[in-house]
Amino acid sequence: MPEQNGIGAYAAYLPAYALASNSLEGAEPRPGAPVRSVAAYDEDAVTMAVEALREITAGASAGDRLVLATTSAPYDGKTSAGIVHAALGLDPAVVAADLHGNRSGATALDLMVRAGGVAAVSDVRMTRPHAPDELAQGDAAAAFTAGDAAAVLLARTGRTAEVLDRWRLPGERHDRVWDERFTAEVLVAAAREAAQRALADAGLDAADHVAVASPNARAAAVLRRALGGSGADAEVERQTGYTGAAHLGLLLAATLDTAEPGQTILLLSAAEGADAFVFRVGDGVRSARAGRPVREQLAGRERLGYGRYLHWRGLLDVQGPARPDAPSPAAPPMYRRAGWKYRLEGALCDACGGITTPPARACASCGGVGADEAGSVPMNRVSLRDRVATVVSVTRDRLTTMPDAEVAIVVADVEVEGTGGGRLNAYATDVVPEAVTVGMTMRPTFRRLWTTDAIHNYFWKLRPWEATTNDD
Amino acid sequence: MTTRRMAHDVAIVAMGCTPFGDHWGSSADDLLVDAVGECMASLPGLSLDDIDAFWVGTQGTGLSGQVLARPLRLVGKPVTRVENYCATGSESFRNAVFGVASGAYDVVMATGVEKLKDSSQSGLSAVLPPADGTDVDWTAPAGFSLLVPAYQKAYGVGDRDMRGALTHVAVKNHANGALNRRAQFQKAVTPEVVERSPRVAGPLGVMDCSGVSDGAAAAVIVRAEDAHKYTDKPVYLKGMSFVAGSGAGLAATGYDFTTFPEVVTAAEEAYEQAGVTDPATQISLAEVHDCFTPTEVVLMEDLGFSERGKAWRDVLDGRYDLGGALPVNTDGGLKSFGHPIGATGLRMMFECFTQLRGEAGERQVADARLAVAQNLGGQPGSSVAFVAVLGSER
Repeated sequence: MPEQNGIGAYAAYLPAYALASNSLEGAEPRPGAPVRSVAAYDEDAVTMAVEALREITAGASAGDRLVLATTSAPYDGKTSAGIVHAALGLDPAVVAADLHGNRSGATALDLMVRAGGVAAVSDVRMTRPHAPDELAQGDAAAAFTAGDAAAVLLARTGRTAEVLDRWRLPGERHDRVWDERFTAEVLVAAAREAAQRALADAGLDAADHVAVASPNARAAAVLRRALGGSGADAEVERQTGYTGAAHLGLLLAATLDTAEPGQTILLLSAAEGADAFVFRVGDGVRSARAGRPVREQLAGRERLGYGRYLHWRGLLDVQGPARPDAPSPAAPPMYRRAGWKYRLEGALCDACGGITTPPARACASCGGVGADEAGSVPMNRVSLRDRVATVVSVTRDRLTTMPDAEVAIVVADVEVEGTGGGRLNAYATDVVPEAVTVGMTMRPTFRRLWTTDAIHNYFWKLRPWEATTNDD
Repeated sequence: MTTRRMAHDVAIVAMGCTPFGDHWGSSADDLLVDAVGECMASLPGLSLDDIDAFWVGTQGTGLSGQVLARPLRLVGKPVTRVENYCATGSESFRNAVFGVASGAYDVVMATGVEKLKDSSQSGLSAVLPPADGTDVDWTAPAGFSLLVPAYQKAYGVGDRDMRGALTHVAVKNHANGALNRRAQFQKAVTPEVVERSPRVAGPLGVMDCSGVSDGAAAAVIVRAEDAHKYTDKPVYLKGMSFVAGSGAGLAATGYDFTTFPEVVTAAEEAYEQAGVTDPATQISLAEVHDCFTPTEVVLMEDLGFSERGKAWRDVLDGRYDLGGALPVNTDGGLKSFGHPIGATGLRMMFECFTQLRGEAGERQVADARLAVAQNLGGQPGSSVAFVAVLGSER
């Protein structure tokens, strides 16, 4: 455990797409209008949490707990954090649990800061087409591990106010919202109290950085003004939309990206009450970030057309090719092959140094039979998850069952030092199919391939490596 | 073992093949009855009671030997159902051959059938066992289209030349199919029609793909020394090999998507059995698995008809046209004759049988003595491959 409660490492994940216009007539976006961050059709709260967490848990311990906060869990009943746990290859002793609801992002952060472990906050916001706040909602994830390199917690306060602000019945796709002028009053009152108490507990009159997250945009605007924020949080929000349970974490990550060691941060959530945190930025904040800064990710996104967005979200029912649904996976093989499915582990042959994917008892290169139980050739597992792959051949499937007219599929080779390398056959993602060429470099990314028979099929795809290469 | 002579040489003495196409009015049972009926009609005095054992190949149309036993109401007969992807028809033939070659039976029948058009789906579909969901859900054209960029890169073939070779394969096979009353598409097509067809996968358009169709075929096989008891013009099996690939091409590095190693091995073995030392000059005609146009281009090299990296040029030069040095897919191939999975391998034999007997009419290859039937399934990197050499002389 760290000597002081706080944040050791952090990362934010923004999907590769942004929606700037929701005009059905194809009108250009208004200058300065909000832009919405859009998860691709193969992303959800689980996959984005994996992408946010994969860098910061690669070398570090996850403590004893992984908490995932979201309002868009891909399953009711089944725990989403368990899937994230599997994809990250965390120790089975790390307990994985979900938090749900509009306040869950703040609660996850609180749990992690005060009790250790890792927290992921991740959300996909589903608004009804042309809802007033359609472009003001968005998709993102952020992740944090306990420690004190990035920030130390100085104070933490909360208020609970049971108010009908934003809600959704089980099975419904879209939130309902009460008149925000009413709820803003309730939320602002709770949040001001929480903020003042937190600042007082921290012995401060004001903080160097203020970041406010609220599902009620009016409340957020009032609080930002009242607390003397610079508006940097609002600027991020204008480019992503309010990202639900992820938003407090996203704004914290964006603040840590630029804050100087020793500065203070007031982090405030106004949802169903209020949650306030005061942090002092740690000396190690510059090296505490994994992945790219929030602003760099914002700048690198591709603009998405409204029709494609609606199709991706299932909000527009489009006739596909006359093909059967992709098959649903079955529980026993998913469990038996978890190392491959979730961690992308191949079998490394001690005899010839070849890597066989999916892992098998017999080496695909030399035919030697491995020694999982008994045999002559030891086969070790090697994860290809964080490797760079080079495209050997590529095709474009125009009869795809996915919600895009065509999808690139590649065969790619992975170099692993001291081995013969391994081969991946995978869907490409976050890329225009014609841009994928022989010789291109790509990197695995955890995605939801398809959902059949109410089973989400998670596995790894490949995305162009250039898109993530600036990480290092 | 595969290069060793069998205990008995065998011969095909009769064959039947339905037209391939959209048989909306016929069931798989009907198609089998038709193919078997045509086959038996050329063997007067012989009835199904005289056939000792039967094989039936089908991928998804039915299960067990009853696929054949029921429509024919066979009583007290052994019937084996086999499946090996798109090489299912050949697998039926191969196992039937072994029944005679081993001495177990005197007269056997190989059949194959597929009913694809009763589904409303595009292309092929298969019911697969429960799995972990990590396999790419390739369409067949997507899997085979991987050959194109890899082949171009390996041999420095430009887009225009490659496209030209693919188009030539399609145009040639449709021209051949236009001369065949049993073919699914009996219409010649222009290069423009091929190249303007809607794109399906990678550079492949609809007109680069084989016809999805219904059909059935059948063959009667006996010991070579008995063949003349049944027909004046038996066709002899000179060599035969089958390889089920290890799938390493998709599971490990090394395979470059410019060849079907399974076909290369099967061809070498079949040629050795048949005494073929230079297939490019000794083979009169070949039926090959043109499931997609690039498959046929690559196969010309795998079968030893063209030098490595040169098949695209030979294709463009017309070497494999009906009037060329080595006519390929004289009946129209999978491309225009159609591809009902379980029947295709036997359909290839049917054309070889017809040509070697000099009965191919307008399509007849002059002085046809030695024919190759090559059939494969799966996809590049993970395929099953069959090669047979058939001859008009023992």
